[in-house]
Amino acid sequence: MNGFDAGATEKEILRFLEARTKRTWGTGTDLFASGGLSSLFAMELVVHLEKSFGVSVRGADLRLDNFRTVASMTGLVERLRAAAGGTGE
Amino acid sequence: MSDRPPPGPPVLDEATATVTALVAGAADAWDRAGLLPVGLLRELGAAGWLCAQVPAAYGGRGLSSAAGGAFTAHVGSLCGSVRSVMTSQGMAAWTVERLGTAEQRTAFLPRLTGGALAAAGFSERGAGSDLSAMTTRVRRDGDAVVLDGHKVWVTAAHYADLLVLFGRYEDGDAGTEHGAGAGAGAGDGTGTGDGAVAVVVPADTPGVRVTRVADPLGCRAAGHADIALDAVRVPAAHVLGGSSLPLPLLVTTALAYGRMSVAWGCVGILRGCLTAAARHAATREQFGVPLGEHQLVARHLAELFAAEQTATRVCEHASRCWDEGSPEQVAATVLAKHVSAGNAARGAATALQVLASAGAQDGHLVARAHRDAKLMEIIEGSNEMCQLMLARHVLGSSA
Repeated sequence: MNGFDAGATEKEILRFLEARTKRTWGTGTDLFASGGLSSLFAMELVVHLEKSFGVSVRGADLRLDNFRTVASMTGLVERLRAAAGGTGE
Repeated sequence: MSDRPPPGPPVLDEATATVTALVAGAADAWDRAGLLPVGLLRELGAAGWLCAQVPAAYGGRGLSSAAGGAFTAHVGSLCGSVRSVMTSQGMAAWTVERLGTAEQRTAFLPRLTGGALAAAGFSERGAGSDLSAMTTRVRRDGDAVVLDGHKVWVTAAHYADLLVLFGRYEDGDAGTEHGAGAGAGAGDGTGTGDGAVAVVVPADTPGVRVTRVADPLGCRAAGHADIALDAVRVPAAHVLGGSSLPLPLLVTTALAYGRMSVAWGCVGILRGCLTAAARHAATREQFGVPLGEHQLVARHLAELFAAEQTATRVCEHASRCWDEGSPEQVAATVLAKHVSAGNAARGAATALQVLASAGAQDGHLVARAHRDAKLMEIIEGSNEMCQLMLARHVLGSSA
């Protein structure tokens, strides 16, 4: 992991989404409004972010707004990495 | 033989032996009495064995999902009621660990590994499979929250010191702002006002009334109880995470642990049944030969073995997904629960068929297994709810 590369984060999230759903997604598309992704799928996203980016998503950070779009997930990852003070290197 | 747990760390082997000594000879009587000795539960709890996956930093045993599962299966092979209490305690701990803040983890988890007993309440009279029909309310009032409503069939609630209760959240402020700072988006949760919270409620709080479910079909000593909540006031700091989440995400997160625990418990049921059926078929003679020499009985043994092995493998896979942090854990957990519960219900019925009158008395391991396994097809997501979730998983991967 080198630094906080939002572009790479976004790309990886898109890759996972497309592999998992066999659909293409825009970074601003509401994943839960537009295609019936379930709360189980939301959990998959949580676990995927934790594993891929070495962050821990707990408590209030689990709110759905953080997972609603690729952009919001990217923002969450960046914020959690910044809060961890780069210790995830 | 197949009921021997895989080799674990020495401390786990020791715990396995201890639990066998404490439980194996007594489970029949506990089932008939419908009650577990609370002292035993506190002893297991204080040693960290009721929620053995809690990290060591909080006084837990820090077991992996795979090791915790093997231990759960072992306990489940001896006594479905003790295993059910473990499932409740583990689910309460997992909910605190996953949803709680760092302060809340530090406040509550050491209690759950220190002898306090816990239960997690989801279901209500009008909200079983459809938890979205939940009506229990959690209202913010200054530095406190006030709970009103009820819960039914809460496993282990009869014994519990701490209740982790799920309800709809009504913030004192107008609107539906989120308590925690950064990046507040527009709207609440899914945008349909389904914000919910999990709250840690000491069972002795004024306004909490716990009433045992009389004569449950299975896991009879697990202390299932209904809970009435009448203006129950606890500090707002007991709201896990401090703010609301969408109800489906909240309960799905909490139930994930329970489903793994039930799945492994069902592996235990199958192992207990397999051992009992094999022993009986090898020793009991009819028509001049051991039962196992009769092909129709032998087939029962083969199917029981297949049921135990497939349940074991599907649970091992799901636990590996948890331990590796793979997103596949979500579907694998539902699959493990579904396969194991169905196998346990069929396997226990098969074992009873092999033992016949020898197992057809309340309290007998196989009679208990038969009743307990049926409940496992209902609890933590019925067969049908699991099928719907798995179907949705399949459909979501093939668009």
